[in-house]
Amino acid sequence: MMSAITTVGLTKHYGHRRPPIHPPFLEPSPLVRALEDLSIDVRPGEIFGFLGPNGAGKSTMIRLLLGFLHPTAGSASVLDLDVVRQSVEIRRRVGYLPGGIALYDSLTGERLLDYLVALTGRPPVRRDELCDRLELSQRTLRRLVRDYSRGMRQKIGIVQALQHDPELAILDEPTEGLDPLMQRAFYTILDDLRADGRTIFFSSHVLSEVERVCDRVAIIRQGRLVALEEIGRLLARRKRNVEMRLSGPAPRFDGVAGVSGVETTDGLLTCHLEGDVGPFLAAIAGAAITDLTIEPAHLEEAFLEFYEDAEADVENGLPAA
Amino acid sequence: MNLALLRHTWRTQRLKLVLVSLALAIWGFVLPVVYGAFGIDFREIFESGIFPEEFASFGGGDVFSLSGSIALGFIHPILIILVSVFAVGFSTSAIAGERQRGTLEVLLARPVSRRAVYATLALSVSGFIAIAIAAFLLGSTLGAGAAGVTDELAVDRLPWLWLNGVLLFGSFAAIGLAASASTDRLAPALGVTLAILVVMYFFDVLGSLWPDAEFLQPLSLFHYLQAKAILNGTAAASNSVPLGSVIVAGVVYALIVFPRRDLAAPS
Repeated sequence: MMSAITTVGLTKHYGHRRPPIHPPFLEPSPLVRALEDLSIDVRPGEIFGFLGPNGAGKSTMIRLLLGFLHPTAGSASVLDLDVVRQSVEIRRRVGYLPGGIALYDSLTGERLLDYLVALTGRPPVRRDELCDRLELSQRTLRRLVRDYSRGMRQKIGIVQALQHDPELAILDEPTEGLDPLMQRAFYTILDDLRADGRTIFFSSHVLSEVERVCDRVAIIRQGRLVALEEIGRLLARRKRNVEMRLSGPAPRFDGVAGVSGVETTDGLLTCHLEGDVGPFLAAIAGAAITDLTIEPAHLEEAFLEFYEDAEADVENGLPAA
Repeated sequence: MNLALLRHTWRTQRLKLVLVSLALAIWGFVLPVVYGAFGIDFREIFESGIFPEEFASFGGGDVFSLSGSIALGFIHPILIILVSVFAVGFSTSAIAGERQRGTLEVLLARPVSRRAVYATLALSVSGFIAIAIAAFLLGSTLGAGAAGVTDELAVDRLPWLWLNGVLLFGSFAAIGLAASASTDRLAPALGVTLAILVVMYFFDVLGSLWPDAEFLQPLSLFHYLQAKAILNGTAAASNSVPLGSVIVAGVVYALIVFPRRDLAAPS
């Protein structure tokens, strides 16, 4: 398999159409550019994070991959199958957890899982293991879905997406409603799936979990790709915040690579540090430092930083990525 | 067609199907009994000239003959409401209702094509209607037996009457499913289908009671329900053509529109 997911110039616009029969005064609805010229490549066996705020185009992308939407332009393939012509075959090999999943309330959890796996046409080889790890007991599964809490619904959603051991799992906000213990259990499930060679396409708002589980991340804004990088490299580029308490003269950072925003007030020096820490450490060697804090880079800050940069680029008419 | 979806659909509708069929069987039982007990009295009242002649027949049915009373049962709002539980209620909610609840997304994430989903739901609603109409006719047959008028019943023509009824309500179901496949919300699909049914019913009843409005009757699908004529052996097979045409048009429309529609994220 060449790639798990490939999109080339994938574009989706909504609106700008009038019904075939319409009064002359009816204006076409405004054009919404939900996704614009998106090209990404998800490798087999990786956990790929897909980040963006509400309305950025994450759900549109997922729905295009599953054949719920038809592309306006460009192309996409999942497991080397075309999303327009081979959508049914794609869905046979993919597990999908929609964001804010709606379930059949009148069924018991067990019957719901049976029904959904029967529709898939593949045996639920992972169901017992998943239920065990997500603490879904047989007693719970025998209750009606309408009596489930939000967290239990989400667990059922995760089980239905993964119970047939799909080659690719597309998960939209998978930890929504899960308590921290269950979130941790879910992360270990993802780690095991990756170890078994499965691919995970992971859409989330929770940046800390993307940082925790994903190998690579794509960041989109207003339907456009603004970054596509390995998590480690993204974090390495991120500026760290440095605070040092001094009992003597402040070290000089003029011309030191990666250091910026130096400010000194009442013996407290603050600055930003980016990239290799070697020049910075060399510059502070011998300084009278009584305390030193370097805040580790977090994806959240990298994300926000990236977004601010991209926003400025877009406003200045420059390419976003 | 998808067997898992078919099983699920029948399982979720089975209680409703049993209750509706039971109610229709009771309704079907009542009218021949009423005819057996009061048919002659009713005939004398109408022949006395108290009521206008047009009032003797309501939508092609009457209470002066067994075939007329069964036809009256068919065109009566009680039967129409009961069968519409499936012909309108189920058909409109089958796709638009699932879409509105968000469960269509879970269903279509499986390896099932939209055409297969539509075909399965269409087959299901056809089955529900077929059983409901059969229950009514079974009740009518039992009612005729209880009233001692079985010799007036043309049992060999009952399958044709059943088919005529299934085609009538099947055509409303085809309209309902087509509306359901075209929208994201239940209310518009239900509203459009119900409006068509009510207007057509009004046209047919008005045309049967008021000679000046007779021209409206061919515009109504109810006009092509020929219960009395079928039981009397005077119906023309061509009456089924408009009903069949509406079904074919509804099915073709839905099979074209539903797979091509964009299903955006539920709002």
